[in-house]
Amino acid sequence: MRAAGRLLAALLPVAAACWAADARANPLDVFGFGSRGTAMGGAVSADVTDFSACYYNPAGLALAHGLEISVGYFRADQSLYMNGKNSGVDPVKGVVGGAVVPGKVFTLPFAFGVGFHIPDDWLTRVRALPQDQPRWELYDNRNQRLWFGVDLAISPFPWLQIGGGVTFMAATKATLDISGHVDLFGPTDSSLRHQVDADLTLIAYPSIGARIEATKDLSFALVYRGQFSMDLNVDANVQAGVGLGRAGDLTTLLLALQTDTVDAFLPQQVVGGISYKPTETLHTNFDLTWVNWSAYQPPVTRIMTQLNVPPPAGGWPAGIQPPTVPAPTVVLPIQIHDIVIPHLGVEWRAITQRTWEGFLRAGYEFQKSPIAAQTGPTNYVDRDRHSVSAGLGLRLPAPATLLPGDVRLDAHVQYSVLPTETTTKVDASDPVGDYTAGGHIWNVGMMATVGF
Amino acid sequence: MRAPGICAAVTVALLAAGWAASAQASPEDIMGWGPRSPAMGGTGAACSNGADATYTNPALLSRVHRNMVTLGLSGATFDLSATGPQLPGRVSVLPAKGYVVGVEVPVPFGGLLKDRVAAGFAFYTPTNALVRGRIQYPEVPEYPLLADRAQSLAIRIGAGADLGYGIRAGAGVAALANLVGSIDVANTAGTVTSRVDDKLIATYAPTFGLAWDLPFDRAPDGSTRWRIGATYRGSIGATFGVNVDASKLSSLNLPVFNIAGVAQYDPPEIVFEAAREWDGWTVAAGVTWKHWSAYPGVFEPTILCPADTDCAALTPPQIAFSDTFVPRVGAEKVLPLPRHASVRLRAGFFYEPTPVPAALAASPAYDLASQGLVNEPTRFFDASRYSVSIGGGVDMGDLAPFTIDAWAQLQALSSTTQQTCTGSFTPCSPDIGTGPASLSGTVLAYGAMLGVRF
Repeated sequence: MRAAGRLLAALLPVAAACWAADARANPLDVFGFGSRGTAMGGAVSADVTDFSACYYNPAGLALAHGLEISVGYFRADQSLYMNGKNSGVDPVKGVVGGAVVPGKVFTLPFAFGVGFHIPDDWLTRVRALPQDQPRWELYDNRNQRLWFGVDLAISPFPWLQIGGGVTFMAATKATLDISGHVDLFGPTDSSLRHQVDADLTLIAYPSIGARIEATKDLSFALVYRGQFSMDLNVDANVQAGVGLGRAGDLTTLLLALQTDTVDAFLPQQVVGGISYKPTETLHTNFDLTWVNWSAYQPPVTRIMTQLNVPPPAGGWPAGIQPPTVPAPTVVLPIQIHDIVIPHLGVEWRAITQRTWEGFLRAGYEFQKSPIAAQTGPTNYVDRDRHSVSAGLGLRLPAPATLLPGDVRLDAHVQYSVLPTETTTKVDASDPVGDYTAGGHIWNVGMMATVGF
Repeated sequence: MRAPGICAAVTVALLAAGWAASAQASPEDIMGWGPRSPAMGGTGAACSNGADATYTNPALLSRVHRNMVTLGLSGATFDLSATGPQLPGRVSVLPAKGYVVGVEVPVPFGGLLKDRVAAGFAFYTPTNALVRGRIQYPEVPEYPLLADRAQSLAIRIGAGADLGYGIRAGAGVAALANLVGSIDVANTAGTVTSRVDDKLIATYAPTFGLAWDLPFDRAPDGSTRWRIGATYRGSIGATFGVNVDASKLSSLNLPVFNIAGVAQYDPPEIVFEAAREWDGWTVAAGVTWKHWSAYPGVFEPTILCPADTDCAALTPPQIAFSDTFVPRVGAEKVLPLPRHASVRLRAGFFYEPTPVPAALAASPAYDLASQGLVNEPTRFFDASRYSVSIGGGVDMGDLAPFTIDAWAQLQALSSTTQQTCTGSFTPCSPDIGTGPASLSGTVLAYGAMLGVRF
């Protein structure tokens, strides 16, 4: 009976997928989540108990000892260049934070966690460019979005924690109908009206994690994050009379635009992690993340156009060119493959005083570019990325009567370098031509946490 | 010694507004939120005691002293009709269904703030769409303030603090998102090319609440019996604005289409309420003022005139919405059972007047058949509603850390008529719809929730 209860409890976080809400996207994959995790190169899947567990491994929430509230800020400036010219990739910046609420259901340790990254300028941005226009595919727009996660975790046995939730974001589907009269001589004098039927629909995918404590000093973690993409499908239909001024219609216009854009594609991931404490004050962590990039869909808008404008009975007036129907967009396939990303992190409690503790952290991760060399007409620019990071932490136990728990301050700095390489086009007449590309990224941030 | 504690509590409550993020939307405005308030006629500004308070009055989150997660379903079905010349009779409306998640968490400060501060989280998401933005031609019969407003995501976070002397204060934030952007299509060497740049931009609205446990008519144990509460909820909306530029798609000189409108909107609201709690009874009564006259309406022009110039583009109809007062009354009886378990019975009533005038301006349109401008009727229907609600719940007390609650509301639209006029509104002359539209119908809203203490 007790075993059945444990099994049921173990399944609870999976069941949480039925209701927990969480919107994962890419900024956390690239820049980390919270100062501690970022400073340790993202190698914390087996060694995380704060709000950032909502991203790194929800199972870790079950190890929290009391209510924690965290808030902070980070900014990543991306200096990425093509042919020596700055590509002007927007910085990624925003507020980061979350909370962990532990408790017990019957006798089982149970925790509820929420984490968020809210960009300064917008919640999400969908941007689709022509496929031949050069852009930093993994850095230009994919990281410009909200992340909001809610997870549950339980600890059915002292050596096992399981957590999970469902991630969701919004896709947009809209149909626009426009009708009336188009004035070719004075377009802004056209007598047009519109109606809209737009839905922001739910996209859900699971995220599940487990942590096993093999010994007091050795822990393992396994995390799965589902695949996600943010679609923008807009159909526009124009049905109107066409004339010169308001003196009746020369002919009719039927225009149908069907645009399908896949943006912010996030491939599924599996993370395996290990955390080892050789001494009471030192944590050494190693994570490996498999990323299913081969399923990637590039953010190029597929457009179908139907344009029907019969010639006027008396022929087209002078100065009006008969319209032609353009061919639809043909999206060329992108050559992209799966990768495995190693993460290495170290945390050392360097100072232990009665009233405060100081921590030093460092990390490294390497992401090999999953995108094949862009030798054809497409220009999805990318390069390998080496990231080194460091951080400081300060913990103040019970700093005031009002705060019986602790207060923690953490800061991080991460430097990523994308080595400059040259891409050589197969076709010597390629309009973009050969190019060199590379750059670096600075990511700095701070967090404050109040524990109760 | 007490003053610093009060100041600290106020600071905490105000800070909550700084970080708390929440998305108010219309489902709460139409049927309420949570396991308790909707069953009590939408009251709660003076009597909420759980995650409901995140919406009704965040000051009352300070009454929370245990962690609880609430999960459930709620929704509404609509049976709306519009009869008259050229009208369909029954107006087709999709039912609203959604998941509800609530969290209430006491913040365990020490010292002067011990057991005085708590936070709440209220979430509702429709099962099939986060936000539905449907802006139809004005002549299409619809109840836009009632049906489509229920199809929206709602998230709220707030915090409340007990300041002492029976005074409580709270704050929270509500948010929705606007969709803005552009779609440019062009003919490049005989092939369609495009640039899409759309952004979801958050809009936020504050919520502030106050409550006062009145210092008279106390129970023998000293607990308060009377409480008054007041809540301010800021205006919030979701707009849709996408420019479609097909001017370079062909040789035709097409205008840039401004596809825009207000998909969701809640007006600023102020709530006053009084409640009495004694011997297991809670009775509350109050009134909500809704500043509907600030509503800009759903329609926007398809063609925007160039800056500082006039153009002959069509102007959509403007509707003069009126502010409304919504009276509410609700009651709850708690029947105690052994081991601190209890059964709770609830009922309530509210009357929601319509902000839409009985006579509307006509909508100009271009008629392809006659190749000229015509006036179309504006069928932006709405009617006042009478709502009765019932509900009940079980708290399992020491037997299990669970609560179960359910409620239902029957909202009856008062029979009314609406006309479209081009000239005088009183009397309506001429009537574009060739006669008044007779409006009636019912809305059945419901909810069921499970609470887990941990």
